[in-house]
Amino acid sequence: MLNASDKTLLKTVADLEGLPKGAYNIRKNGKLLSRQVTANINIESNADGSGIVVTIKPGTKNESVHIPVILSEAGLFDVVYNSFIIGEDADVTIIAGCGIHCGSKEQEGHAGIHEFRVGKKAKVTYVEKHYATGRGTGRRILNPTTKVFLEQGAKAEMELTQISGVDEANRLNEAELGPESLLLITERVLTDGEQKAVSTNNIVLQGEDCRANMISRSVMKGNSRQIFYATLTARNKCFGHIECDAIIMDNGSNETMPSLKAEHPDAELTHEASIGKIANDQLMKLMSLGLTYDQSVNRIIQGFLK
Amino acid sequence: MLELKDLYFTVTDHESVKQRNIIDGVNFTFKKGLFYAITGPNGSGKTTLAKLIMGINEVSQGQIIFEGNDISKLTITERAKRGIAYSFQQPARFKGITFRDLLTIATGEEDEKKLLNIVSRVGICPLSFLDKEVDAKLSGGEIKKIELATTIAANPRLAIYDEPDTGIDLWTINPMVKLLKKELIEHLTTTIVVSHNRAFLEAADVIIIIDKGRFVYEGDLPKALHLLTDLSACTYRRPPEGEENAQCFR
Ligand SMILES: Nc1ncnc2c1ncn2[C@@H]1O[C@H](COP(=O)(O)OP(=O)(O)O)[C@@H](O)[C@H]1O
Ligand SMILES: [Mg+2]
Repeated sequence: MLNASDKTLLKTVADLEGLPKGAYNIRKNGKLLSRQVTANINIESNADGSGIVVTIKPGTKNESVHIPVILSEAGLFDVVYNSFIIGEDADVTIIAGCGIHCGSKEQEGHAGIHEFRVGKKAKVTYVEKHYATGRGTGRRILNPTTKVFLEQGAKAEMELTQISGVDEANRLNEAELGPESLLLITERVLTDGEQKAVSTNNIVLQGEDCRANMISRSVMKGNSRQIFYATLTARNKCFGHIECDAIIMDNGSNETMPSLKAEHPDAELTHEASIGKIANDQLMKLMSLGLTYDQSVNRIIQGFLK
Repeated sequence: MLELKDLYFTVTDHESVKQRNIIDGVNFTFKKGLFYAITGPNGSGKTTLAKLIMGINEVSQGQIIFEGNDISKLTITERAKRGIAYSFQQPARFKGITFRDLLTIATGEEDEKKLLNIVSRVGICPLSFLDKEVDAKLSGGEIKKIELATTIAANPRLAIYDEPDTGIDLWTINPMVKLLKKELIEHLTTTIVVSHNRAFLEAADVIIIIDKGRFVYEGDLPKALHLLTDLSACTYRRPPEGEENAQCFR
């Protein structure tokens, strides 16, 4: 059922050595390949068959859901709408990932629209990895969207990673935070060659005492290009922070536009942004510990994107 | 074990287009297993000299002979592999690299037990430091301790510490001196400490005073005293950044 190339992709995007434990839904070339539900986690195809609805019972603890997507069919552009309904007080980890294996001249792509409704005091950790491979010359396109709605006291930790091989990415993250909720987003994007990635982030701090922290780490190799937009809109007494760092290697280019909007007098919003080459003092330090120049560069980038 | 032969580091001032020797014809031989303290006014060339030895600064003229071989043209990496280690005056801060990672890079060791052994051997960093990120959040003292620890962990044949006491609390200075002495005795590590701190000067076998890029004194501490109390050799018109603890030996 899973061929060798599927297995490699699964290993890379979901850290899986075969089928996962717990609930999962594996989608291959736009169709369901395999699914498993548990007593607390239900997975169903949605009404129009364009995706899945994952429902997590209130109070579910320490369970995980894997929802990897594999694309290996030439010319396919797969679009899915997935929703996640996380019951009150639950604490779960959701691991999504999209691996593209492109063996032809035709372009292949995936747009995953993931919507999260996180109930009162519930906590979700969402890990998403994107990766493309294959010898084909077709463009590999990934347009992931996440929409997060946090109820009172809910917490979401989102780790969004684009590893390599993706020619074109339009990433969109949107969130609306209820009272006392907490959102942590870490986005890591590495581009190379002629690749281009745009990341747009709109976070609305709606409820009193909510907090959001968005961290973006970008590395541009080759002639690649990345554009990062992040807007925090505060509508209540709240705290928000954006931290975006970009390392330019070779001839890469970057635009970073953090923006802060306070629509309430007690809003506290901050941002830090930096774009630059690898710091020389970091290189010197690692070389003085015995690494070569290239090893030092790799180690610094590896840490930066960790 | 380390010979500086007619060593120069020359820079060109961009405005006046004049040449300036930051290190101005230094001749000196460091002997194996001795403890050297280099002191001198700010801007006299101490850090520049240390970076010349490590290969971070390129030699303008002259030679650096290490254990009989000319290393003047070797890269930083090659010098590190031959057993030279340098603790930076202003250590680099990273993103996503921990103290553990630096120790692993310095030693090639990933084993938890062995890493903990190294940390306890160094002593001045608590074991809990191991997973600390070496980033901008560390205090000045914390990062200097980590910097010193990575140098010791590398088991160098020649260790150079550039103002290791900066930002370090008074209670840690003496243990730090003892630690460097112990490393020297156990591993015969030739040790060079750049410092103004009397604890290091008193611990040293040889004191070197550097002024305007030249060695103006090489010898023991008692005879160095009159020079150190002489304002011309030791003036702090303004305490430089990050050197709040720098105090003149007078
Ligand atoms: N690469 C360089 N280019 C120009 N000036 C330099 C360079 N490196 C050091 N200097 C200057 O040389 C002098 C000595 O610096 P340094 O060795 O750092 O002094 P210290 O004795 O305080 O460690 C300072 O005036 C410094 O500005
Ligand atoms: Mg200095």
